[in-house]
Amino acid sequence: MRIVKQLMAIPGVIAAGEYAYRGDRFSYEGALTDEFARIASILCRANTMSVNMQSEIFDSFAENCGCRPVQGWIVRGAQITVCTVGNYFSFIENRDELLNDVMTIMRAKVGDVQGDLLVNLYAKLGGDTKEALY
Amino acid sequence: MDLKKLMDLPGALAAFTYSDKGDLQSHVLREGTGLSAQVLDLLARSCVANLAIASMEARGWEAVTGQSGFQPIKGFSVVGLEWSVVVDGNCGVVIKNRDADYEAAFKAVQAG
Amino acid sequence: MTLKKILVLDGVTAVCRFRDDGVVMAAEGMLSPDLMVRLAKFAQWYRRMVSGNTDLLSLFSQMRGWSPSQGWIVQGDAMTVCSVGNMVCMFENAQGSLNQIMQALGEAAHE
Repeated sequence: MRIVKQLMAIPGVIAAGEYAYRGDRFSYEGALTDEFARIASILCRANTMSVNMQSEIFDSFAENCGCRPVQGWIVRGAQITVCTVGNYFSFIENRDELLNDVMTIMRAKVGDVQGDLLVNLYAKLGGDTKEALY
Repeated sequence: MDLKKLMDLPGALAAFTYSDKGDLQSHVLREGTGLSAQVLDLLARSCVANLAIASMEARGWEAVTGQSGFQPIKGFSVVGLEWSVVVDGNCGVVIKNRDADYEAAFKAVQAG
Repeated sequence: MTLKKILVLDGVTAVCRFRDDGVVMAAEGMLSPDLMVRLAKFAQWYRRMVSGNTDLLSLFSQMRGWSPSQGWIVQGDAMTVCSVGNMVCMFENAQGSLNQIMQALGEAAHE
């Protein structure tokens, strides 16, 4: 959770936390309730699944083109941005230079995402990577 | 959209425009990237999908939480191993992670 | 409902049962082994994505009935790919009956 504390120390970071595969294991700090953090966790999982699938498809057309493994994604909202690297997420204000700073920190600290998506998503919070979807 | 301006971004590897449905309309590629028009075409389609999903998520989040500031969506980025793609509206740019200036990239695609 | 029984349905060109890690458990039909592997991987990803989307829909709509997701259908110009649970199937639109095939896939998936 050190990365979360580091992020929360930066002015403009609204919330930061970890999420896991099923969205039912998460931790966070900042301006979220438990319920909102749970929803954010499920959102993060859905988007991470999606971009991972996309990168597998790109890779099958242009092997080793530099997109896999996917490190994360960013949603730029009107005033708030959500960034995710590995199994960490942050909600930040759209103030100058903040996105670059946050992405630099997140990618430096957690941007060593390897190929197996489920292993990554369970890396810090624990859990069964062989757990079936159903 | 002036793709040359997008290619001036730090680390820019490719710039492209696409229709609302994701058909690649124009593109510029820097040599030796491993990217191709075919990959850009796939990227464009996935970007349309990602922007649509992000809009749905923003709408749902604001409705459920009562928070504001997420809508309207101003862009989406996928951060790959070596490069990231940043898109908004109908244009996108692929930038090398090492040199990436995400804020400048978002501003640039929003200007399109 | 075995895979062979699904394969003989009108229009079906390939059917596959896949594991949760995308590995092919059983496959019948006119795809090469390599393409079957790709189909299984694709189906596994789609299943996860759809599951994610239905979770979101449930959360945002507060409606029952979306989760857990059961399957998905992609209808192309002349071909359709559809899935229920851990079964995926490809068929020609001109001959296949979507209702019949989805029913059959559902029975097979729950075995």
